[in-house]
Amino acid sequence: MMKFIGALLFITTSSWIGFDLSKQLSRRTIQIRQLIQSIQLLETEMSYSQLTLQHTFQIISKKTDPPISLFYKKLAEDMEGIVTDFITVWDEAITYLQQSSDLKQRELEVLKQFGRNLGQHTFTEQQKHIVLTIHHLQHELKEANERRQQYEKMTKSLGVLIGILIVLLLI
Amino acid sequence: MDMIQLVLVSMVAALLYIILKDIQPTFAFLILLLTSALIILVVIKQIQIILQLLQAIGERASIDATYIHTILKIIGIAYVTELGANITKDAGLASVASKLELAGKIFIILLAIPIITAVIDVVIQFIPTNTNHLP
Amino acid sequence: MFVDATILFQIAGIGIITALIHTVLKQVGKEDIAQFVSLVGFIIVLVIVIQHLADLFQQIKSVFLLQGF
Repeated sequence: MMKFIGALLFITTSSWIGFDLSKQLSRRTIQIRQLIQSIQLLETEMSYSQLTLQHTFQIISKKTDPPISLFYKKLAEDMEGIVTDFITVWDEAITYLQQSSDLKQRELEVLKQFGRNLGQHTFTEQQKHIVLTIHHLQHELKEANERRQQYEKMTKSLGVLIGILIVLLLI
Repeated sequence: MDMIQLVLVSMVAALLYIILKDIQPTFAFLILLLTSALIILVVIKQIQIILQLLQAIGERASIDATYIHTILKIIGIAYVTELGANITKDAGLASVASKLELAGKIFIILLAIPIITAVIDVVIQFIPTNTNHLP
Repeated sequence: MFVDATILFQIAGIGIITALIHTVLKQVGKEDIAQFVSLVGFIIVLVIVIQHLADLFQQIKSVFLLQGF
């Protein structure tokens, strides 16, 4: 009886791991899409309201869903008071995003590059950078979508199957 | 009942073999091998009882122990050869199976050599070698 | 006399599961890994079967006094 319960627990756990991995693949595409939307929001906010960056980030964090909203919220919080080095604040927020989301290193690198140019140029040049970043992110989105279509089903079934296999081997 | 259990085990093995034959032929062959081994493992304990009876009878008749042992070895070789030959035949190696049977026969004859020579000695003793006794 | 038939089911189960993993991996296009999984499954089952075969031959040797052969 104990053996049976253990086997059931093992299969459940390994299936759960498989489902979580496949969820991660689909969550990544959703999050990249949200990131693109948030940068587009940033662009419109910049061109029409012309608030400080901190206020802009606060507004964006209200308009997006977690974990992207958490990223902007943290940025806004970190920029309270006097900020001497914007790049470190940005990088810290990116490490935070890396922990709280399913985004991969490549998107984060694009985002990091974007932060280097934020607030350094005139508006038209800034707009060019935004367009470039969105273009890069859209490329990543396409790649993530391909990966998702390829591996989503595989990870699901492999999780269940490997669980059953190991249980069978250990009986 | 041992016999019913054996029949059921072989039936189960046959079903599993049919399932596995199309998707994983190697595993199906391993099932076959294992079933043969399991069944013979059960039977061999019964064979031991029979052989002990044979040895006891031989001792009562005061037959030389080496003869009994040779016969046991011959029976053993026959069983093992048949097992191996059947399994190789099932795997599709009919020619190897026939060679294995040939090897089994040769080993049996090799083992039987002392008995054959003893029989020939006895027969030669019966045949009168000296022709001078003839009228 | 008790014949343990669970081992038959175990081997059949491993066979079916490895076949399923093989097909899943093949659909994704990872033929090499699929082949490897099948091979590993086969080796594991072979080890189980070999242990039983060794037991069988040991028994045969002791029953038929076949020490020299």
